[in-house]
Amino acid sequence: MAIKLETEKLSAWFGKKQVLKDVSLAFEEKKVTALVGPSGCGKSTFIRCLNRMHELNPDGRVEGKVLLDGENIYGMDPMDVRRKIGMVFQKPNPFPNMSISDNTVAGIRLSGEKSKADLEEVVERALKSVGLYEEVKDDLKRSGTSLSGGQQQRLCIARALAMEPEVILMDEPTSALDPASTSRIEELIRKLRSEITVIIITHNVGQAARISDMTAFLYLGELIEYGDTKEFFESPKSPITERYITGRFG
Amino acid sequence: MRIFSRRAREKVVISILMMLTAVAVIPLFWIVGSIVWNGASVMSIEFLTSLPAPFGSSGGGIGNAIVGTLMINCFASAWGIPLGILTGIYLSEYASAGRLSFIVRSVVESLSGVPSIVIGLFAFTVIVLTVRHYTGIAAALALGLMMIPLVAKATEESMKVVSNDLREAAIALGIPKYNVTTRIVLSMAKGGIISGSLLAFARISGETAPLLFTSLFSFYWPTGIDQPIATLQVLIYNYAISGFGDWVSKAWGASLLLVMMVLVINVAVRMLGRKKY
Repeated sequence: MAIKLETEKLSAWFGKKQVLKDVSLAFEEKKVTALVGPSGCGKSTFIRCLNRMHELNPDGRVEGKVLLDGENIYGMDPMDVRRKIGMVFQKPNPFPNMSISDNTVAGIRLSGEKSKADLEEVVERALKSVGLYEEVKDDLKRSGTSLSGGQQQRLCIARALAMEPEVILMDEPTSALDPASTSRIEELIRKLRSEITVIIITHNVGQAARISDMTAFLYLGELIEYGDTKEFFESPKSPITERYITGRFG
Repeated sequence: MRIFSRRAREKVVISILMMLTAVAVIPLFWIVGSIVWNGASVMSIEFLTSLPAPFGSSGGGIGNAIVGTLMINCFASAWGIPLGILTGIYLSEYASAGRLSFIVRSVVESLSGVPSIVIGLFAFTVIVLTVRHYTGIAAALALGLMMIPLVAKATEESMKVVSNDLREAAIALGIPKYNVTTRIVLSMAKGGIISGSLLAFARISGETAPLLFTSLFSFYWPTGIDQPIATLQVLIYNYAISGFGDWVSKAWGASLLLVMMVLVINVAVRMLGRKKY
């Protein structure tokens, strides 16, 4: 098994408040890793350290290393990092001033660099990979926000995939969606595993069990337990983990 | 019984509010009404397109003042609007809690509170006294300066309402900040910025004080922005106090034109504002 992304003693602060404490975690290549934990446990901050978004907070501070293929991303250009490590957010957020196809290739088109890519082809491939192409192929010029919530979220995943990232981060991507759209996205995440490393935050323990290979449990900014999803749920080592997954707190 | 009294009280409150609204609105209709009443009679093609007639003879028009107002407004907009937009972009997207942004914000806010006559005096000192003649350039400087805070505020406010989620989505795609600002935030704020700029244009169309000692007045067609130029505002001022009947009615006509211009811009802005994402 190859390690794609790894954190070494990662700590993060909001002003004086430390929200992550020395988290060391290795993500395997082409696997889905779920991050679970109660609200406020630092999951979102953790994932935002992985693409250098946390530091954009005026009082956000990060310490420790994040290694992508062995190279510390905190020594790289943040924009290059974000092109290699894509992100999907909790609320679908297509750009309202752009059509479906412009949304899909927004990252390429606005990268500030000349692209040789055939954008029409990228649109088609990215939308096909999220199963949206057949639904929208006749009106690619329609506004991205005219789609349903689930379609918008798939469009956002397509927009991230169009950059051909090596890792994709998802911050509770289905929490704003209805059950049918949720299961479509879960299906899509399982399919993505063959091509890309996925790190997904979920509030829903059942979702972690359904879609992930590995599961990590964070509690009060610390990594409590990390392991194979099956083992994680069948025989948790820590009593806190057991209490969390059996729904005694959340 | 109680229900009746509650309804009765409701009616009393509503009628008081309606009366007060009427009190506030009546002067407005009165003003517009008297301008239309007095100004409409002088409206004609000749009035709109020809030069003023020599003093004492009737006829002629205010064509040069119409052209002059538009000319000075356009020159003022040409530098006031871009600078206002850039300031607004800075305040909304780039200003942090630092000292520079505090200074910029304070300057913009104080600028909008400076009486227009003081701004006119500034343009008079800087330009008119230097070149030693009245010039439209000084007027365009003064009016442009007045537009900056208006346009900056409108730009800042319409960019601030763009959801932060969209900025984050763009940054997470590795899009550089200047493209996030221009291609996403600015593009979505476009409507508000255009409205704000039009309103600033309408606002300076009514300013008279800064023009009195900058562009002054002229009885001829403007030949260049660096000359004394007639404007509707100064024409109204000069003609209205002249005591000469024909000029007074021409001042009413010019007022009607000015009010209509401002009204058309305001209606256009409202129609523009309806189209939203």
